[in-house]
Amino acid sequence: MLAYRQGDVRAFETLYGRHKGPLYRFVLRSVRERGQAEELYQEIWMRVIEARGRYTVQAKFSTWLYAIAHHRLVDHWRRRGLQLVDLEGADTAAHRAYEPEPRAAGREDLQRLAAALAALPELQRETFLLHEEGGMTLAEIAAATGSTGDAVKSRLRYALARLRKAMDDG
Amino acid sequence: MVDPERDERVSANYRALGREEPSAALDAAILAAARRRRLRWGVPVSIAAVLVLAAGVTLRMQQEQPDPELALPAPQAMEERRTAPPARVIAPRAAADAVAPASAPAAGAVLQSRAKLETGAKQTEEALAPEAWLERIAAMRKAGRLKEADESYAAFKRQYPDYRIPEAMLGKVAPAR
Repeated sequence: MLAYRQGDVRAFETLYGRHKGPLYRFVLRSVRERGQAEELYQEIWMRVIEARGRYTVQAKFSTWLYAIAHHRLVDHWRRRGLQLVDLEGADTAAHRAYEPEPRAAGREDLQRLAAALAALPELQRETFLLHEEGGMTLAEIAAATGSTGDAVKSRLRYALARLRKAMDDG
Repeated sequence: MVDPERDERVSANYRALGREEPSAALDAAILAAARRRRLRWGVPVSIAAVLVLAAGVTLRMQQEQPDPELALPAPQAMEERRTAPPARVIAPRAAADAVAPASAPAAGAVLQSRAKLETGAKQTEEALAPEAWLERIAAMRKAGRLKEADESYAAFKRQYPDYRIPEAMLGKVAPAR
């Protein structure tokens, strides 16, 4: 990122190639609608490009990238009137069902997993996705989302418990 | 080190949901934006560089010397000069003789034009009738241009070794003994 800041476009291309898949899936599974996901995904990268002058070596690039993504998603959820609270007993019926990829369509356990992921409260799902797709540690997730380590740990545990339960329920 | 918060079965099933990627069009749009942002600074700088180069070449052309290759900053500029409109005639060294003396006020050009005049004078003398040539030598000597008169007389003798110069004229043209 520092190289891109100095004007090296190939450095950006390398970073983009490394992070595009995980970030795209993170956004896609957070909003569940492809058109909207693509719009958000593009906006996140535009913010990365615009904010390149503010990047410092103190932050790991992935933490910085997902912090930008987190802020963009929070804006998105707020505009849609969704409350960002850790709802242990959240009403999952309010969430639309996740549409699995065709390769997962024949497997009931995967469909249940997809539905359970889509039904997770936003912050739990975000934590799970940052851990799974972003490959981030709990500390990095806490830094990227402006949360405490304990809150992140708690969200991830709840998320995993729900997903396991969904797979086992068949 | 095993991540205490990782559930391998959940992870494996999650990965089986699919590995979606952004479309090629989305990739291209973002990479193009990254290039544009970098160029926002790069373009004005390169335009300025071209303008400076162009101004330098124009200045050089205005200060044209008879020996243009000595004054050129770079081969690239030389190319531009060769392809430039012929507002001024550019004379490579080999063709320097073609430069009109009147348009070449520099010291080198003055020397060059004098040499050319002298050459021209000799050629003119050689075209003269012997009597007229002798009259000219006599005029030189009378004007005190003795060296020039001596040289011209020698040239006369080379061209007309058998010509008998009348006694009256010989005193006016022959070098003093």
